[in-house]
Amino acid sequence: MLRIDFIERLRFELLELGCPRRQLRRLVQEVADHREDLKQAALLEGLSEASAESQANTQLGDPFTLAGRLMMALRQTSWWGRHVLIAFCGLPLLVFPVLWALLVCANLSLGFALGFGWNYQKLHLAAKNPDSFHHLVLALHCADYLATALVAILFCWLARRSAVRMAWMATACAICSFCAMFLRVKLNPHSLSVLISWNPQWVRFAIPLLIAGALYAFQWRTIEIPCEQS
Amino acid sequence: MLTCITVIGMVRAMKKTNPSFLNGVPELLVLRLLASREMYGYQIVEAIRVQTREALSFGEGCIYPYLHYLEAQKQVSSQRREVEGRNRNYYRLTARGRKRLEELTSEYKRVTTGISFLMGGQHA
Repeated sequence: MLRIDFIERLRFELLELGCPRRQLRRLVQEVADHREDLKQAALLEGLSEASAESQANTQLGDPFTLAGRLMMALRQTSWWGRHVLIAFCGLPLLVFPVLWALLVCANLSLGFALGFGWNYQKLHLAAKNPDSFHHLVLALHCADYLATALVAILFCWLARRSAVRMAWMATACAICSFCAMFLRVKLNPHSLSVLISWNPQWVRFAIPLLIAGALYAFQWRTIEIPCEQS
Repeated sequence: MLTCITVIGMVRAMKKTNPSFLNGVPELLVLRLLASREMYGYQIVEAIRVQTREALSFGEGCIYPYLHYLEAQKQVSSQRREVEGRNRNYYRLTARGRKRLEELTSEYKRVTTGISFLMGGQHA
């Protein structure tokens, strides 16, 4: 007969519902303690070991339902968890362009400070030289990709923190990808412009999706369907 | 806000009408219980059930996300300790939690007094 351990099953269900690993360990530990307390109370009532364990499991409910209730309670504790549609569909669409542009500027400012010591003369000289201008364009691409990744990471972090389903995180990343595909930053020798381009930028499109994929893989890297033979 | 507390006999009616009717009540109950002594999750669930004469009860296990939330709000603190051979997380009230309890108690008294007036003083 195949018997599935209650606590292992609960761990699996919580992970499947997107419980962050940081909270998962403590939650499972405390529910295991709670189950043991229920079992001890049943033993004090005079039940046998097996009956006490069975009663404790019945009181907790099946792991799937319990995990659902725990996750619902967990999500209700944050604004992001209570308003998933706004937080992970509406906000990425509105926030991505602004945040991305700000981060590109911040990255470029940092590069300017590190590479040219915030000296405009040096920058102008570099812009005039085709070789160094090529390096500036490369630096701009890096700043652009980094900004795209940072916005996607921000939404992933919010999704993980509020313990919403992984699908919401993937949705936010997909919206970031869509925005990133058409927004671009262009560098001319003495000017920088942010524009909407209808030529899809596939590298930038892929970055948020890759981040979501990596987090999916991280969440599931050690999980196995819990079962044991008895 | 909390979805796992149950008012016996009222759940179905509340779900249909105002699911957030109990906002603030679980917080008040948990903080009130922890004001007297530190407790672990099972003790809190049992104390709520017994001391409200089974009128209110937390869904088994559902108290933990709520306790973690109160801890994140710095209203309670927790410590894992071994007592009588069992390791458990014990929760205790913080100064911020005590202040919050005073606010909630005063609000609760204000509301119940108002309801009593409305009910013609028969429940005062």
